[in-house]
Amino acid sequence: MAMSKNLKTALLLGTIALAFFFGIIAKYWLLRR
Amino acid sequence: MSSVPHAHDHDHAHGHDHAHGHGHDHDHGHGHGGGYGGIMRWITTTNHKDIGTLYLWFSFTMFMVGGVMAMAIRLELFSPGLQFFNPDLFNQFTTMHGLIMVFGAIMPAFVGFANWQIPMMIGAPDMAFARLNNWSFWLLPFAASLLVLSFFTPGGAPGVGWTMYAPLTVQMGMGMDLTIFAVHILGMSSILGSINIITTILNMRAPGMTLMRMPLFVWTWLITAYLLVAAMPVLAGAVTMTLTDRHFGTTFFNAAGGGDPVLYQHIFWFFGHPEVYIIALPAFGVISQVIPAFSRKPLFGYASMVYATSAIAIISFIVWAHHMYTVGMPVTGQLFFMYATMIIAVPTGVKVFNWVATMWKGSLTFETPMLFALGFLFLFTLGGFTGLVLSIVPVDIQLQDTYYVVAHFHYVMVAGALFSAFAGIYFWLPKWTGKMYDETLGKWHFWLTLIFFNMIFFVQHFLGLAGMPRRIPDYPLMFETWNKISSIGAFGFGLSQLLLLYVVLKCIRSGEPAPQKPWEGADSLEWTHLPTPVPYHTFETQPVLK
Repeated sequence: MAMSKNLKTALLLGTIALAFFFGIIAKYWLLRR
Repeated sequence: MSSVPHAHDHDHAHGHDHAHGHGHDHDHGHGHGGGYGGIMRWITTTNHKDIGTLYLWFSFTMFMVGGVMAMAIRLELFSPGLQFFNPDLFNQFTTMHGLIMVFGAIMPAFVGFANWQIPMMIGAPDMAFARLNNWSFWLLPFAASLLVLSFFTPGGAPGVGWTMYAPLTVQMGMGMDLTIFAVHILGMSSILGSINIITTILNMRAPGMTLMRMPLFVWTWLITAYLLVAAMPVLAGAVTMTLTDRHFGTTFFNAAGGGDPVLYQHIFWFFGHPEVYIIALPAFGVISQVIPAFSRKPLFGYASMVYATSAIAIISFIVWAHHMYTVGMPVTGQLFFMYATMIIAVPTGVKVFNWVATMWKGSLTFETPMLFALGFLFLFTLGGFTGLVLSIVPVDIQLQDTYYVVAHFHYVMVAGALFSAFAGIYFWLPKWTGKMYDETLGKWHFWLTLIFFNMIFFVQHFLGLAGMPRRIPDYPLMFETWNKISSIGAFGFGLSQLLLLYVVLKCIRSGEPAPQKPWEGADSLEWTHLPTPVPYHTFETQPVLK
């Protein structure tokens, strides 16, 4: 199924948001000083 | 876009100025909102105008709730000693006042403007994801309920401040958990709303509406939405880590387990400073629409406004530690954040210069929106200057956590964001309702708001310079006079806002019919291409801009 341009934009932005959310937790979870 | 059934009354609104096009308006017999009436219309609506209206009324309600808490704070501070509230409840009020005003009042107000205005300003029929838009709004009442209900949990609402610093957050009762969930939901709403806004602006502009022809309000929201997508998840991460520290045995911010409370401050302010601009940039956008309209001149330096807004957004991510100079960071760190903060004054100065230059030799009139815009210009600039003062490390070390800081950020948040929101409400109310508001009462609202605002907050600079700490319900006798003046100003300010409610209701019920373009100098699509009142559906056929 071809994705619409709007859906592609939204998925990209959603991925960025999720990456920031999990990234900040993972950074301090895995890379403890 | 929405599920409203089709019918047959077409309303062609032909454009004049630099574009032509028409909005076919299928407003079909069954009323608004997919055929539903009453409350179900509002619950099920996917129409950007309905959702914008919901955001704006929700925001006003939260403004009143947060305002009542502000009144309680000022009531307690009217006299030295403890009068009405115990210190714990006082802390709960300051915390919830901040959270409700930032996340419940100011942010939703500008999302309301975005919903109403962005599709109309870029020639789109609605937002890109209409159902998602409905959900983005309806998350908010649940989050707000959690915040307010936290007062009724054992131990009450959290008394940690709106910044929710560790380690206090680890020690609070279950009100803290409700607040954390509320922040999660508010963040989710903001992120979904931002994705919708970015997608709409990037993909749904009318032919000819190039990026560099977009109204400044649309530009500022595009940049703000990117800020939200980057900053909000960081806050969500911070409060999630707080939650796991509280209940799941982690010690991210707990020194006893090898964690670091200062780490929380770094993460929070990595979100927190962009948050300031998440609030300020849409406010700049509104002002950039209002000042040219009442100066009867195009905005001076359009391109430089776009670049300045972008510069502010980018720099806002590298200044966060100016909120925490006193945690014991290295001098090199302090110097970096001091200079980075000062650099933000350059693009901000560009914007202020451009607004003033727009007015220069303009044919000015001073209706209520313009009065609020000018009030914004004077007072926000003052708030910016005190921000510069606070960016200087040795000065900030003296003034950290004093009323000088409280005065500073209220000049930015109230005289900046709130005045801009008021300017926007009066500016677009004729377009939204199809009726004119009472200009005399609008001016009364402005002058009362201006005077009482300065009564509350100008004197707080003196209190801060004299050393009065914030978030403390008691103070020495020597601070009494300024506190009394500030409290009287607060009560006056609160009462004055009921006038806004009256003006809006009067406008809706019995205002004079508004023409298509009541403001001579207004030139964006909603004025030039759409009738007043705006039909329920607009731009079902795309306008084409020459």
